[in-house]
Amino acid sequence: MFDIILKNITQRKLRTGLTIFGIALGIFAVIVMGGMSEHFNQTFDRSISLTADKIRVFPEIGFGGGDLNESKAREVKRVTGVADAYGLLQASLDPESLGFFGGDAVIGVQPEKFPSLLRDTKLTEGRFLTFGDGYRTVIGSSVAREFNLKTGDEIQIKSKSSLRTSSIAHARNFTVVGVLEYTGSFFDNSVLIPLKTAQKFYERGDTVSFILAVPDQGVDAEDLSKRIELNVEKIKTFSPEQLRKQIEQSLVVFTLITISAAVLAAIIGGLSVMNTMLMSVSERTKEFGLMKALGAETRDILFMTMGESAIMGVLGGIFGIIGGGALVYYLNDYLASRGTILFSVTPRLLVISIVFSTLLGIISGLYPAYRAAKMSPMEALRYE
Amino acid sequence: MNEPILRVRDLSKTYMQGKIPVHALSDVSFDVQKGEFLSIVGPSGSGKSTFLSMIGLLDKPTSGSVFIDGVEVTKATDSEAPVIRRKKIGFVFQHFNLIPTLSALENVDIAMRFARVPKSRRRERAIDLLTQMGLRDRMNHKPSELSGGEQQRVAIARAMANNPAIILADEPTGEVDTKTRDMIVELLRGLSEKGQTILVVTHDIAVSAKTRRIITMRDGMIESDRMIS
Repeated sequence: MFDIILKNITQRKLRTGLTIFGIALGIFAVIVMGGMSEHFNQTFDRSISLTADKIRVFPEIGFGGGDLNESKAREVKRVTGVADAYGLLQASLDPESLGFFGGDAVIGVQPEKFPSLLRDTKLTEGRFLTFGDGYRTVIGSSVAREFNLKTGDEIQIKSKSSLRTSSIAHARNFTVVGVLEYTGSFFDNSVLIPLKTAQKFYERGDTVSFILAVPDQGVDAEDLSKRIELNVEKIKTFSPEQLRKQIEQSLVVFTLITISAAVLAAIIGGLSVMNTMLMSVSERTKEFGLMKALGAETRDILFMTMGESAIMGVLGGIFGIIGGGALVYYLNDYLASRGTILFSVTPRLLVISIVFSTLLGIISGLYPAYRAAKMSPMEALRYE
Repeated sequence: MNEPILRVRDLSKTYMQGKIPVHALSDVSFDVQKGEFLSIVGPSGSGKSTFLSMIGLLDKPTSGSVFIDGVEVTKATDSEAPVIRRKKIGFVFQHFNLIPTLSALENVDIAMRFARVPKSRRRERAIDLLTQMGLRDRMNHKPSELSGGEQQRVAIARAMANNPAIILADEPTGEVDTKTRDMIVELLRGLSEKGQTILVVTHDIAVSAKTRRIITMRDGMIESDRMIS
């Protein structure tokens, strides 16, 4: 029966082609939008797993607003169950041109805290920062690619006064001493510099953006997070779990928006299949009547018509994946040269796309097939 | 005498045209023996096409029964009907009704597909039948590439494919020239001589004259039923 299905499909080449194109466009959208969403989920997962053991301590007022004195780190460290606590200063690498998704970030960190901050992340070249390094930096893999930097090269960091909104206060070149391996986390877009240098450069005195608290072995991070909040004044803590939940919430919204846009596109593709099949079924009314007169059973007719729509779905899916995959590949390639990657076409996404397009084909063919199958052979044969 | 291959008993069909009942068939009864070549004739509206639809399970009678090969087909359920159609009945239509996208060979083949005949046997049988119809070198042509006579011969081969108990032909020569008509009638006659039961509905006297028995219908009833020697 498969050969007859294929014959019917290839008989009306233009119509079949347009229908498949409709589905392909939908699946194209699923791949591109889904790829974006998958990438963010992956980055989030990797970033979380890199810092999953640490509690974040923020000034009470908010994330960016209030000042957090470095001395607070010592207070946090004194809380029972805290193994270590240290401040980080975070700023945008180029405050004038904020990237699409936050862009690259400068992170000021005490050189001796590198192993704790980066866990087992390795360097592809050079060395980590050491005590006494001034205007030196270790950069993430995406930053290295974006600016085409190697150890020994210089990278310019700009700072912006918080009072004046548009002008650059000053800029300064930092020497790259090391490049981090690819982690798939936000560290790829980081420029790590010594905390003291950062505080001086950004004119932040003794303040930091947030403090990371490392719990003792065997200490529950959730409990400890609450204890820190009780013991240290004017701070707010984010346990790894809270952080995960918060990011997940914003990711869910993002995923919903991207996926629903893609699904909408795919459903429109599905409607085009239904339209084509309805047209094709009504054109072949007589043919189906004849088949029934020849002894075809309802399931034969259902199989034939739904087979046609399913094949169009599968083909649409394949072309959509190829098209979407190609676009994602070239976009990633282009974006990588600018220091970021936006899409991940995961095996999961591929499976979802092909299953979705096939189901779309089958479901869209359901009603036309039903109409074809329930036709009375008598009426169908009389139909002109 | 043997059990008749087709037995029609008190067959009636009443349509409702709005609120007015139209008696398309009224108490029609007759028997057909195996290998008979008979024609049903009559003016338009005499009920001959309605009658053919009843035997072919394309429509249900209001009352009465039809037995084909000892099976009461008028009692068949919707799920049994396709099985009876493909095992007991072969259709030949006025407009040939071949599937335009399929070749002659595939058009014969498809009837056997529905009967779940294995592929190797289907091909062999289709080639054999088309050869019998004199279409051996036209097998891979599409209906649009065949003449009316050739198309109808493909249709006859298709009707024969599953060795049906009876072939029902509805105006099989309605769309062909006289020469082709004669050829098709001869072909059907030849098949009946080999033991195939054939029932032809026609209003062409030249066709019915070649059959062995003519049933004339008028106003849904049998007006005459005579054998031709």
